[in-house]
Amino acid sequence: MSGYLELARLHAPVLTLLALLAGAALAFVSPSRRLAWVLGIAASIAAAVFSVDAALRVLVWGDAPIGAVEGLALRADGVSLFGAAALNTAGALVAITAGAFIAEASSRTGPYVMALLLCVVAGWSGALFASDALGVFAGAEIAWLASVAMVALSAERGALNGALRMLIAGGVGAALFLLGAALLWRAIGSTDVFYLSAALIRAPGLAASGVGLMLAGLALKAGAAPLNFWLGAAMGRASGPAVLALGVLGMLGGVFVIVRFAAHAAPAPALGAGVSAVLAALGAASVVIGSVQAVGARNLRRLAAYACVAQCGVALLCAALGSPAGFAAALVQAFATLAAMLALFTGAAIGVGGARSLDALDGMGRRAPLAGVAITASAISLMGAPLTLGFLGRWRLVEAGVGAGWWWAAGAVIVTSLAGVFFGGRLIERLYFRRAVATQEAGAGAWGIAGAPAMISAIAAICLGFAPTLLLRAADAATAFVAGGGP
Amino acid sequence: MSAELALLIALGAPAAQTLLVLALARPPGLRDAVHVGMTLLTALACASLLSAAAHGEAVRLVLARPLPNVDLAFHVEPLGALMAAVLSGLGVLHALHTAGYARATHEKAPARQMAFIALANAATMAVAFSANLFTFFVAYQGLILAVFPLVAHRGDEDSRKAARAFLATLLTASVGLLLPAMVWTYAITSALEFQPGGVLAGRVDALTANVLLVLYVLGLAMAAMPPLHRWLAATSVADSPALVTIQALAVLPAGAIGLLKIAAYVFGPALHSESMDDATLASRGLILLAGVGMGGAALIALSRQDVRERLAYSAMAQILAVAIGVLLALPAGLFAAALQVVAFSCASATLLMAVGTTVAVTTRERVADYSGLGRIMPWTFAGFAVASASMIGLPPFAGAWSKLWLITASTGAGLVWAAGLVALAAILTFAHLGPLAVSALAGRAPTDAFKRPDGASILLAAPVVLGALATLALLLFADPLASYLAPMWTPRS
Repeated sequence: MSGYLELARLHAPVLTLLALLAGAALAFVSPSRRLAWVLGIAASIAAAVFSVDAALRVLVWGDAPIGAVEGLALRADGVSLFGAAALNTAGALVAITAGAFIAEASSRTGPYVMALLLCVVAGWSGALFASDALGVFAGAEIAWLASVAMVALSAERGALNGALRMLIAGGVGAALFLLGAALLWRAIGSTDVFYLSAALIRAPGLAASGVGLMLAGLALKAGAAPLNFWLGAAMGRASGPAVLALGVLGMLGGVFVIVRFAAHAAPAPALGAGVSAVLAALGAASVVIGSVQAVGARNLRRLAAYACVAQCGVALLCAALGSPAGFAAALVQAFATLAAMLALFTGAAIGVGGARSLDALDGMGRRAPLAGVAITASAISLMGAPLTLGFLGRWRLVEAGVGAGWWWAAGAVIVTSLAGVFFGGRLIERLYFRRAVATQEAGAGAWGIAGAPAMISAIAAICLGFAPTLLLRAADAATAFVAGGGP
Repeated sequence: MSAELALLIALGAPAAQTLLVLALARPPGLRDAVHVGMTLLTALACASLLSAAAHGEAVRLVLARPLPNVDLAFHVEPLGALMAAVLSGLGVLHALHTAGYARATHEKAPARQMAFIALANAATMAVAFSANLFTFFVAYQGLILAVFPLVAHRGDEDSRKAARAFLATLLTASVGLLLPAMVWTYAITSALEFQPGGVLAGRVDALTANVLLVLYVLGLAMAAMPPLHRWLAATSVADSPALVTIQALAVLPAGAIGLLKIAAYVFGPALHSESMDDATLASRGLILLAGVGMGGAALIALSRQDVRERLAYSAMAQILAVAIGVLLALPAGLFAAALQVVAFSCASATLLMAVGTTVAVTTRERVADYSGLGRIMPWTFAGFAVASASMIGLPPFAGAWSKLWLITASTGAGLVWAAGLVALAAILTFAHLGPLAVSALAGRAPTDAFKRPDGASILLAAPVVLGALATLALLLFADPLASYLAPMWTPRS
């Protein structure tokens, strides 16, 4: 029995994907919303268990490596294990929270929404585990198209505009990525991700252009500024589950894939400078534009999405450093953003249901205290207050940045934190110091446990900032495994 | 009680008090007893730590290691122990006064108010006992977030606006200026520990030292250094108990403690030395800014007819005196600054509690309405007069000693103009507080003074009188305090 268990653990990547895709298929054919929800939760929890177990074994306990060849061009490395564990855990929590919306959805679309949600997680997980650039492309496309479908399934007609913009953006992103992959293949004769760092590069300029285009294609799907023209329209009118899938899983999934790709490309002398320049430009633009957009936002979901853009910008800046310390900082920052966004989106989902205006938060601290606590924890983490994960991520960037002489990166951190003070302070003020002016929608139809993820992610955003040893160890080990050529 | 346990109680009791007061909100008697009792426990623990620091006991408490090589840690040293003892002692009087004020004004949410006062006290204790810059920054941010609900407590548009100004100014300054300074210090020294002699001493060039000093001093916006001082006047719309916390017991003192710790334990000789690798240029500029700010604040106070607003500007003038003492970078200046914090806290708490008592029993808030109130509230206005005299710096009250040391240190540093600015601010303070106290005591008694038929309760009057007595008692402690604080500016061998 233990032999089978070990065999299963050795093939954690493929089991993670199988659990998600099988869950999606079952949810799709499920006759009721509630059954689809339960199946979705079961599948996402199974995937989370597989991926977290693999990450803990390899990154924390230093146990046996993960199987390399599955016949599906899947190969795990440190960053993919770290990212998949974080993403699948978030996926399970999002699946649970989706109950707050699916309970109110029609019985026809409810199962589809759950199936698509699982496809989003499966797509980004597949992109993280793919050993080949084309595998990365396939995974990212599955996740993206599932996200587009989720937005299109929203009840409001305005959401279709968002879905259309996403479709156009996705097409542009796919074209950039494929063009970049073709250039890379032409330059080095392979699109294997693991081959990048040691490749004999015949045409360095061509290879660097290829990698730059591939990163830009992925950045477009991750919502990095200035390529995030689709974000406002998609987030502004989409349904609750679509917002959760895009804002929590889509953007952070994209960032993890970018960090992994960059971690493989940066060590190559001919590619390092180009990767660094592309990521630094995208990161700085995301920090500045995302912060400005978040400060000016009046729609709660857009505010959260733009805040996420700014935070992801910090992660991209970390990755731009190109050093193991920088990639470790990027993983910590991406994880911090994931926890903060999860707390914010799930807290809002439970507290105000489908409401979008910031006014909906007025007095919510009294009306829905637990959801209020989750949003407060998220806001504090987004501000970068000490003893939160948000502070930890930025501190690691400053530490790595100052070590590399990138003082301006510290400036970017300050910009993000200052913007966080403004929009985070505004959220807290509305929660606790305003009275509701009208009867607010409060997720009344939510099924029992749908509120649990908000509290779990809020606790993670604070407690892991207080005792981050395990997280830091895992992030350091993850980048070391990439530097060493994979586990 | 061991010193470790006392430190744990000093930090933990106010935090536990927050929860207890909320949990035991009814009956009011139990709530008030818990509030006063826990504050007293904190004060006793701090008194024990004062004694431990006097005997040179080294106590350190590490709660966590949230960053590599950086602990969330607290330690007992003379400056922190003195400030914690004074502020927690005054906190007991404030707790009594808050209980009396809540009863007299039929406060709608007294438990919430008391809870956030306790939380602010917890953060202030953490500021005082912080062992390194990171812990100080955490406690400082915690204090901002704890006081924000106190400012907005009334819930009307004015108080919300004031709370927004408070939060925006202090958080922006701390994130935009104090945090970069901390990160820069870490980049230079790979350490954030507070240590006598300063972690930066001998490790920075003149340019870095000057820029860092400006970042630190302006980043500590709780010290109300212009131009980041507007939050102080804005928050004067808050309720009386919140004002005592903001001006006398938590926010302004925390800013002053921060200035002292950074001057003594981060800069040390890097603030001013013979080698010119120091921050002399920035410190002189900041002294000028603080001196002009002092005079300006005292002058503006003169023009304000709302008593609370007048006291806010008066408090600003007083706290800027601390900045001048700190920036002089001499032992005499640091001692003057420390003594000024102690004297200011006693006098300011007494004044604000007296104003709170007056509001609670007469609803009078205008300067013109104070005439003759001393004849019908003699104890309250006797305390008011003593505290005013100390704020002005009239000999032999405690405030006079700190001003005298400040003038001596300024002339000792060759900055006669700084001494002149301190003296000018004292004269202007006399002009805005002296006539007010005199008119209250000597004016004709109003015939319709009391809103409450039974006048001020003992809970409202006694803390004012005891605060005034504390101000008087400080007369005796100037010399012992000088020798007690000596380790602050003496590097460990």
